[in-house]
Amino acid sequence: MDLGFILTNAVVLACIYGTLAIGISITWSSLGLINLAYGFIFAFAGYGAWLAAQYVLTNGAVVLAAGILTGALGGLIVCALAFIPIHDKPNFTVRGLIATLAINLIGTQSLMWWFGPRSKSLPEVFGTWKIPLGNMVLTADKVGNVVASIAMLAIVLKWMRSSRRGLEIRAMMMNPHAASIVGIGVRRTGFYVLAITGGLAGLASVLLSQTYYIAPFGGLTPMIKGVSIALCGGLGSVSGAVIAAMVLGLNEALTSVVLGGQYVLITQFLLIIAVLLVRPRGIAGILDKAREA
Amino acid sequence: MMPALGDAAALVLPDRQVSGPGSAAAKKEVLNVKGLSAGYGPMRVIHDLDLIVYAGERVGLVGLNGHGKSTLFYAIAGLTGWQRGSIRLNGTEVGRTRSQGPGRYTHLVVRRGLALIPQGDEIFHGLTAEEHLDSGAFTPRAWRERAERKRKVLDIFPPLRKLLHIPVGRLSGGERRMVSIGRGLMAEASLFLVDEPSLGLAPKIGKGVMAALMSVELGDSAMVIAEQNISLLQGRVDRIIGMHVGKLKGEASVGLGFQTRREA
Repeated sequence: MDLGFILTNAVVLACIYGTLAIGISITWSSLGLINLAYGFIFAFAGYGAWLAAQYVLTNGAVVLAAGILTGALGGLIVCALAFIPIHDKPNFTVRGLIATLAINLIGTQSLMWWFGPRSKSLPEVFGTWKIPLGNMVLTADKVGNVVASIAMLAIVLKWMRSSRRGLEIRAMMMNPHAASIVGIGVRRTGFYVLAITGGLAGLASVLLSQTYYIAPFGGLTPMIKGVSIALCGGLGSVSGAVIAAMVLGLNEALTSVVLGGQYVLITQFLLIIAVLLVRPRGIAGILDKAREA
Repeated sequence: MMPALGDAAALVLPDRQVSGPGSAAAKKEVLNVKGLSAGYGPMRVIHDLDLIVYAGERVGLVGLNGHGKSTLFYAIAGLTGWQRGSIRLNGTEVGRTRSQGPGRYTHLVVRRGLALIPQGDEIFHGLTAEEHLDSGAFTPRAWRERAERKRKVLDIFPPLRKLLHIPVGRLSGGERRMVSIGRGLMAEASLFLVDEPSLGLAPKIGKGVMAALMSVELGDSAMVIAEQNISLLQGRVDRIIGMHVGKLKGEASVGLGFQTRREA
């Protein structure tokens, strides 16, 4: 068993899933929406990046930017269809869940109808170089994945800490009722939140496509993993999502080496169930008067 | 239908001899509420209520728990479950008949010049006191002037100076109340609605908070303070209005009504 291989894989997976989970977590805690259309946004962004690579340039930066932008566009579609019309109706949590699930199903089917069921592969975004490090080899895609996702998350979190819109979003995450009292418009904040989390999904999509392929239904498993990591880390907590992503990434890398890739989801959910049994609010879930409904 | 029911309407029309500062001619209506009913689901809390607040005025709103003081404020902000009736803020209609969507238009009302300082501590636990004050300066102009405004708020609540970088969730009740009121005062508002500023605080701290509220220079804006403890308001507001079962029940300039009642 190659420990170095497991570790690098774990870190790479943790970065990608962490990006997804943080997007889901921010959406939930600021808007009260469990965005089940994330899988669609993920695949949509993958195809956006593919189109860019096909018709514009195969340059890594272009492909990455195209993925992020199409992801943000996907987020805006979700915002227009599933958030703005129903966010102030009774029982929004369940309605939003169903609406986003519907977008996911319709969206992935349309992708299948438009692009066909054959999966596409993206060019090597980060090139093909390698760094030997001790007895492991750091390939370009692994290093690039880690650097890109950490950089993107750092930018997003920094923006949320220092800008005015970020202040709005954080205020919404902590107390939506008080946020509306100070004059924060829920719909406009929803617009920003969904665009940004969509962009995160787009990034994750391009990064994951360095290992897997882009397929219409390729977003489903990452979304399930993202949602479960967000749950495991505690919905609404960014640090919790990071920790949970590390733990589950390690688990995934270990399982696929020790038991085989087909058992990944099984061990993953067993682990999540164990965590939630011990700590029902997740690893770093907020106990205060955060969003409960 | 309204005038026939009229007891609330007749009693509440402000008495120009008694109330308000300045000459009668110079009075500008900041808030004009007409025929407002509001509530939550099947429950109707506010019944056909009329209220006028003039610029530069400090008004006390007294009444027991559950008689609609907070709901009146929430209705003005568009936060009740449903509402109907006219609410004019600086002459602009902000009331609307609606049966759902609490809070959907609140930010627009706030932009028109409403600052609601809600009951209890509607605070953002993880934000620092400073970020809190920033979040109160929401209109573009207030945001540009926020350093200046922050300085003014800190002059009113000097203890906050030391707490600026501490997450609000870690502050004591009195400090939280200061932050919450300070957040309201950051806004570029023409109407301040302060809901039970002394609620849940030790009497001494409650008095301090109230004194700070009284020291706010209103200029052209107006302030309505809902309070159960009349003695905290006495002699410091321009008039006091009583509220009972969702209706306004008479008003008095401070020197008159409530004082005599206390002596009796």
